[in-house]
Amino acid sequence: MMSLYLYAIYNGLVLGLAIFLVSSGLTLAFGIMKIFNFAHGAFFMVGAYTAYALTGQEASSLFVFLGAALVAALLIGFVGVIADFAVFRRLAGVPAEYTLMAAFGILLLSNGVSKIAFGQAVHTVYPPEALSAFLDVGIPVSVYGLFIIGAGIVVFLALEVGLNRLWFGKLVLAVARDPWMANVAGLRVQRLKLFSVVLAFALAGLAGGLLVANQALSLDLGHSYLLYAFCVVIVGGLGSIRGAFIASILFGLAESLNAVVLPSLPGIATYSLLIILVLIRPQGLYPELSQ
Amino acid sequence: MKLAARLSLAVLLVAFLLAPFLVHPGLVFIAGFAMIQIVFALSWNLLFSYAGLVSFGHAAFFGIGAYVSAVALRYGWHINFLLIPPISAVLGAAAAFLVAIVVLRRANGIQFSVLTLALSQLVVVLIGYSEYLGHDEGISAIPRPVINLGIATLDLNNPLASYYFVIVIGLIAIALIWLVVHGPIGRTMQAVRIDPERAAFVGIDVWRLRVVAFTLSGGFAALAGSLLAPWAQIVHPDYVNWLASAQPLFATLLGGAGFFWGPVVGVLGLAWLNYAMRTFVGLSEIMIGASLLVVVLLAPQGILGALRDAVRRRRGKVAGEHR
Repeated sequence: MMSLYLYAIYNGLVLGLAIFLVSSGLTLAFGIMKIFNFAHGAFFMVGAYTAYALTGQEASSLFVFLGAALVAALLIGFVGVIADFAVFRRLAGVPAEYTLMAAFGILLLSNGVSKIAFGQAVHTVYPPEALSAFLDVGIPVSVYGLFIIGAGIVVFLALEVGLNRLWFGKLVLAVARDPWMANVAGLRVQRLKLFSVVLAFALAGLAGGLLVANQALSLDLGHSYLLYAFCVVIVGGLGSIRGAFIASILFGLAESLNAVVLPSLPGIATYSLLIILVLIRPQGLYPELSQ
Repeated sequence: MKLAARLSLAVLLVAFLLAPFLVHPGLVFIAGFAMIQIVFALSWNLLFSYAGLVSFGHAAFFGIGAYVSAVALRYGWHINFLLIPPISAVLGAAAAFLVAIVVLRRANGIQFSVLTLALSQLVVVLIGYSEYLGHDEGISAIPRPVINLGIATLDLNNPLASYYFVIVIGLIAIALIWLVVHGPIGRTMQAVRIDPERAAFVGIDVWRLRVVAFTLSGGFAALAGSLLAPWAQIVHPDYVNWLASAQPLFATLLGGAGFFWGPVVGVLGLAWLNYAMRTFVGLSEIMIGASLLVVVLLAPQGILGALRDAVRRRRGKVAGEHR
């Protein structure tokens, strides 16, 4: 019985960090654009397909696997450049609902393109051999799961240090808090916005490449993660990376323990947790100053 | 221009009324479906353009109406079907009232939107548990009712009768929404949307007004949903999930958010796009996505806004201001 809970907690951590990998980019994009980028889920999915196209069903080595994820990140980052120049930059002055609708337009566009390019089949992808083993520490622990946990922590630390400690991150935060004031202070607001949007998109591609073997690969891949990521951004505090990290783990554990504690009611914990947390603390765990 | 607008509205109405005699049955089905979507989109726009609330979970209320009427027909409740739309509306309004008094106390803006999204997804999850509601497959093969009108009976198995049933109830709902919007409540709502703080200052109870708006809107959404079961004869959770909730948002912004009739134009535009692209897998999504982008980038006031600007420009009255 104990090991069942331990196993659920381990799975919850894996799911939580997987959610964080997806929501880190969404959080960053929210901080800059103040909207939910609906297209994020679609780009996550495209990133996963890109990695799959490069490596096939099983990457030949860990380096190929990581390389494919990196290529996916670069490709989606490049899409971010196009999206910023063609769409987001031009919508800076209009109400946020229109940016939201544009993001939804991009979501539909990329879903349609993926349908034509990748087909409707469901693929199974395996992690590379180096990650496919299981360790036995009382409970069976997959090395790939540990890899996801590690990758999530690395991305979290990189963003946390990059945004809060490095000069470049501070400039991005300044633009997120108050673009007008940042402009007055002489920052290149457009360029910093472009940088953040591209980084956010690239994170979606990276997450797609890293998580490709975590579940079946289908066109619906983006939806489930996108809804989790929405929950995470809200509970974390609308643009706070630290809040998103904690919220991701909370939701991962909730979802995983749900299957053990309430097996007859699958899927209920996530939304209940969200509703309770938002009602208790509508401003989020780490409220951003600009909100 | 007012005249032109009224004329086009009249032409649209006549087209809806004469559709069964003008076009083939497939298009008539789409017309009935569009009428249901129009009522749904107008109920959403009541919140968005008039009360300033963005709900991402409005399909939950639509779903309440859809499932009530589906269950009533499928399991043969002994009830005059004419009562089902009002009953659905009352149930939807009651649910919306409960949600509003809890959610609006604590959250507004984006938190409000995501809370409504979460609540509607919770409804989808709950429907999935229920044997009675058909789990994830929904309720299919719903029989169409025979309505006893006292002096005559109306058999909705007749395609013409069921079409006019949907159209008439839909038109009644549209008329009611029009009255709400153009009455004192609608004006007060607009005041709250434009500046909640100032509205409170002149003595408007902002919170109560938002609750009223959300309740009314939920009721109309459920009314629209109740027409789905007899018309489409199938109801499933896809009508309740977050993508269904996004439909009225598209329709409203595509048609023009500042106009009462904007959602109507938007729904018809989306229906036309879906119909024109129906044979190409993936292409319909590309086209709808692209047209959303085009509208947002080139005509942020929606189709109606672009038309209005075009008319003004022809008359030499260039608006000039940047929007």
